[in-house]
Amino acid sequence: MAENLWLTLLLVLPFAGALILCGFCGQGRGRAMYLTADLLAAAEFALALFFAVPVLCGGGYTCRIKELCGFGLSFELDGFRAVWLIILSFMWLTAVVFSKEYMEHHRHVLRYYCFTFLTLGATAGVFLSADLLTTFLFFELMSFTSYVWVAQEETKGALRAAETYLAVAVLGGLVMLMGLFLLYHLTGTLALDGLREACAAVQERGMLLAAGILMLFGFGAKAGMFPLHIWLPKAHPVAPAPASALLSGVLTKAGIFGVILLSGNIMHQEKEFGWLVLFLGAATMLHGAVLGVFSVDLKRTLACSSVSQIGFILVGLGMVNLTGGNALAVNGAFLHAVNHSLIKLVLFLLAGVVYCRLHSLDLTQICGFGRKKPFFLAVFLCGAFAVAGMPLFSGYISKTLLHEAIVEGGELFAGSAGVLLSVTEWVFLVSGGLTAAYMLKLFTVLFLDEPSERVKKCTRNYLSMPVRLLLAVPAGFLLLAGLLPDRILLPAAEQASAFFGAAGAVHGAGAPHWFSMENLSGAGISIGIGIFVYFTVVRQWLRKRDGQETVYVNRLPAWYDLEESVYRPLFLRLLPFLLAGACRLAESVVEKTAWFLSGPLLAAVCRLADKLVAGIVWLISGTMLSEKKPREHLHGAGRIAYCAGRVMDDLVLLLNRTVRRKRPIQKSFVHIFAVGGRRTRRTAGLVARSVSYGLMLAGIGLVITMLYLLLG
Amino acid sequence: MNPNLILLLPVFFPVFAGILLAGSRLLCQERKRAVYVAAVSLLELVFVGLAGAGDYELVLFRMSDRLAFTLRPDRLSILFGVLCAAMWLASAVYAAGYMRGQKGSRLYQIFFLVSVGLIAGLCFSGNLLTAYLFYELMTLALLPLVIHERSKEAIRAGLSFLFYSIGGAFLGLAGFFIFYSCGISFDFREGGWLGAEGVRKEAGFIVSLSAREKQLVLAGCFCATVGFGSKAGLFPLHGWLPSAHPVAPAPASALLSGNVTKMGLLVILRVIYYIVGPEFLRGTWVQYTLCALALSTVLIGSVIASREQLLKRRLAYSTIGQVSYALFGVFVLNRTALLGALLHVVFHSLAKNTLFLCAGTYIHETGRMRADELEGVGRRLPATTWIFTFASLTLVGIPPTSAFLSKWYLAQGSLEGAPFVFSWLGPAILLVSAVFTAFYLLPVTVKGFFPGRPEEENMASVLQGEDSMAAAATESGSMADALQEKDGKSADAGHPQEKGSAGGRALRREAPLSMLVPPAVLAAFAVGFGILPGGLLRFLEAVCRAVLN
Repeated sequence: MAENLWLTLLLVLPFAGALILCGFCGQGRGRAMYLTADLLAAAEFALALFFAVPVLCGGGYTCRIKELCGFGLSFELDGFRAVWLIILSFMWLTAVVFSKEYMEHHRHVLRYYCFTFLTLGATAGVFLSADLLTTFLFFELMSFTSYVWVAQEETKGALRAAETYLAVAVLGGLVMLMGLFLLYHLTGTLALDGLREACAAVQERGMLLAAGILMLFGFGAKAGMFPLHIWLPKAHPVAPAPASALLSGVLTKAGIFGVILLSGNIMHQEKEFGWLVLFLGAATMLHGAVLGVFSVDLKRTLACSSVSQIGFILVGLGMVNLTGGNALAVNGAFLHAVNHSLIKLVLFLLAGVVYCRLHSLDLTQICGFGRKKPFFLAVFLCGAFAVAGMPLFSGYISKTLLHEAIVEGGELFAGSAGVLLSVTEWVFLVSGGLTAAYMLKLFTVLFLDEPSERVKKCTRNYLSMPVRLLLAVPAGFLLLAGLLPDRILLPAAEQASAFFGAAGAVHGAGAPHWFSMENLSGAGISIGIGIFVYFTVVRQWLRKRDGQETVYVNRLPAWYDLEESVYRPLFLRLLPFLLAGACRLAESVVEKTAWFLSGPLLAAVCRLADKLVAGIVWLISGTMLSEKKPREHLHGAGRIAYCAGRVMDDLVLLLNRTVRRKRPIQKSFVHIFAVGGRRTRRTAGLVARSVSYGLMLAGIGLVITMLYLLLG
Repeated sequence: MNPNLILLLPVFFPVFAGILLAGSRLLCQERKRAVYVAAVSLLELVFVGLAGAGDYELVLFRMSDRLAFTLRPDRLSILFGVLCAAMWLASAVYAAGYMRGQKGSRLYQIFFLVSVGLIAGLCFSGNLLTAYLFYELMTLALLPLVIHERSKEAIRAGLSFLFYSIGGAFLGLAGFFIFYSCGISFDFREGGWLGAEGVRKEAGFIVSLSAREKQLVLAGCFCATVGFGSKAGLFPLHGWLPSAHPVAPAPASALLSGNVTKMGLLVILRVIYYIVGPEFLRGTWVQYTLCALALSTVLIGSVIASREQLLKRRLAYSTIGQVSYALFGVFVLNRTALLGALLHVVFHSLAKNTLFLCAGTYIHETGRMRADELEGVGRRLPATTWIFTFASLTLVGIPPTSAFLSKWYLAQGSLEGAPFVFSWLGPAILLVSAVFTAFYLLPVTVKGFFPGRPEEENMASVLQGEDSMAAAATESGSMADALQEKDGKSADAGHPQEKGSAGGRALRREAPLSMLVPPAVLAAFAVGFGILPGGLLRFLEAVCRAVLN
């Protein structure tokens, strides 16, 4: 592995390209923008070839930038990454060239182009990353930049799909981050080359499994794994066709990239993890295929097909884990991923062509579009045969490998595990059959049914030369690779095996006989099931004749939608309601308590304290010190005062009769003495009472002091 | 001249500048006054940097031999001081545009300047007493900023701000009394005065606290943390934030949210890491309770924010949640987590200031206060909305923006060292909260840039191409002309009468430059620190190494 800093050019170029587009192709320079975009995509492809081809011939590059983003970024280009680098840059080139035609009459084209290039950089970053933090960084970047694709059209449906997409992306990203936290805590490293050993050495297997499952959630959400696939069937139909091709062909594979890491390297000792991936893969495969059969929208069918095919790949990855890196499973999963990317590139671009001309994707309205268009037919057939696993096309090779892997895996496990695997095998075959059924449905719609009104009106030339060329390449590849699997596909798979952690597995010798009866029968069963399903279910139940026209009806009940009937009510209604209710309750309880404490209660307590002493006095004075009613004395005075008063009065009377005849003294001394006596007594009483009160307080104080001394 | 006197500069220069503004008749012209305020803020930033650079110490005056008012900056002071001064500068520049033509802006500016001086004092204080003094003064100086609008709500919010802050500070003061009575020095010492098991680390001799004193100190520490936590929005004393932030003018609420909350955190840091000591607290009921409080605050803040429609109140609740991230990091008492907490202080401050300034721009330019009314705002104010987007992504913690780093360290620290279930519950709640953050921040961007359009209009535009009016209104309107010329060639263009139907949409009109540059610069820092964190990381690692070894 040679250190090569120029590797970052692969990332810098698209990011810079987006800026260039944004900056220099401003107002009203449309032609320049298209040209720049094409050139940039071509340059990226050339650059990818420049780096990848030497790597495919042996060797590899690494690149580490220290301290950037805190942890340093590290990149690597090995055989596996080189293959993907070529595929993704080629797909972007095709999509960008096609975009010119597709986006002609759309708004916000510049925005679309800018974010297409940003996503290219981010996706390249994911595939080149050599440690999980770098992966995560570019993964998140990719999620957010690709959001614009989904929301691009700004229709109601698009915005809703975009909402779902963003929610799944954010949720997936953060759950994955939790997994990374745990993993880093357990192993102390996130660099991919040391991770396998580091994980093998971890003692706390439960924690490791938890980390793996959390990360699977994140990567699986992007890959479209059941039950997180909900964004896929919604986002693809509303995104512009070239973007759908990339979303389906490459972005889901970024998720698969992560699952490969988990299943082959990080969790390679955890068989439970393998079973989980296998089970989820089988569910994805079947669920996607069923949805695909029922779908009445061209791109939605393709999107469901993507979900289903991702399920096939996941089943392969589950087998990689369960069989400890069996070459069949490794090659099958890898090749199916590659095939699927190219197949979806071809098919989505064709759907784009249909949409460009008809402005509809409804199967009823696009009936017969492909009639008298031989190129269209040829390319479509290449894609359809490949995805249905028809012998002589590349999809057959990868599906056969996957099938063989399941069969071989079944031999490894005895008992219930073996039974489970044979059930998986049947699910695999049935899903393959359903794939054939919905592709047959599309084929009938496009090429056999009577042309609809819309189709009849549309007479324009439907494909430009460059797009024809770019479509012919992947379609031709699908055919060629199917014809010469040992020359083309297996060497590529060889390159990838190291990445799967399958270094010790047998290669070459394990190559099956492609056209032996045994292998052909697998495809035969699938295709047979497909034809059966088509003629029984699709033609009888999903299609009806409405006068002259053939109408395709959606028989899928409305509630059969995980997002609408489970996730949205749960996450948008119930959970926020409960959580916010709880939080508001906590908040209001605190606030109410605080208000109550500070307001009425505190006031009451303070008032109490304020009146405490007075209250005690009042209480005591009311009971112990209650004023006795004074006895009713004669003239209100005491006996002595009365006597003294009478004596004085008698004296005064005497004086008045004798000495002071002229000026008699007009006073009643009895009264004066009585008043004086009462006043004296009252004063004395008051003094006595206050002294006793003081004494009592002192006494209480003494008691408290004594208690304190005794107890303290 | 005593070189230590330089410490007076950052504290008293803006205070005097504020008083000068109150007294002088020279600065009656609004524009001049705005320039003056911005210039003072810039000088303040320089002074804080200068004063923090050296090893200065200054005793202002003594109350007794154990109680003195001291300024003594250390690394933590520089971090918080520079952060605040920089934000004050940004806010001053922003306010020049935002407050133009508003009544009473002079009073606002006076207290704006005074408060930054007091905050510098709080950052530079060398012991608890000084910190307490400046803390209370800061609260009082900030009050006029909260009640600037003079509406009934504003005054109620101001009173609530006052009560919560002062009440909290008194609770803290109770803790200080306990420290004092147990003979713990008020001077800040890296690593605190108490070791594990309550051994007092004095020079020369070792004194162990008695069991009763240990319990008292723990209770005091709890009181102080919860009390000063009221400024930091720690549940249960967080009530002032959601009422005070929406009523304050945007540049002030940015500061309240981004910086003033951090002052509460600073005092808590001082109490835990510089007075009591992390070893003493580790494994005590205080640590557990505080961790639980911080995590529940994170949850409460994020959840309620996601249900709140008034944008500024939503951001206020968001602050409650986000500051408690940092508080949780502080309470874990682990070096990695502390590093995460300090990083989050910086990053949250940058991002939240940006968000509040952007929210202010929305209010100023469109008059819309509610998040659900901001549909299509990206067409009208694209640059502001882009800035808002980057700040939102930072706050959610999407790499490579900066808050991802702080979350990473917080989570790792928590996994390494948090007690009990907190070790994994902490990261889990951080991420749940991040999901909520995404759900309450990203819709603004999404609705702003993708307002959607009726289906028929969409169909028409697809069929017939662009109409130039709508295209000119958008950032990618460049294609209009190119598409116009192709328009005629389109064979199945059906509805010419639809042309121009999309007219009447609000045209693009960006906010004035003074309201655009500060948030842009802050957002650039918020993202930039995530990409090149090297220097900051090393600086903060040094802080953490000093207090936790």
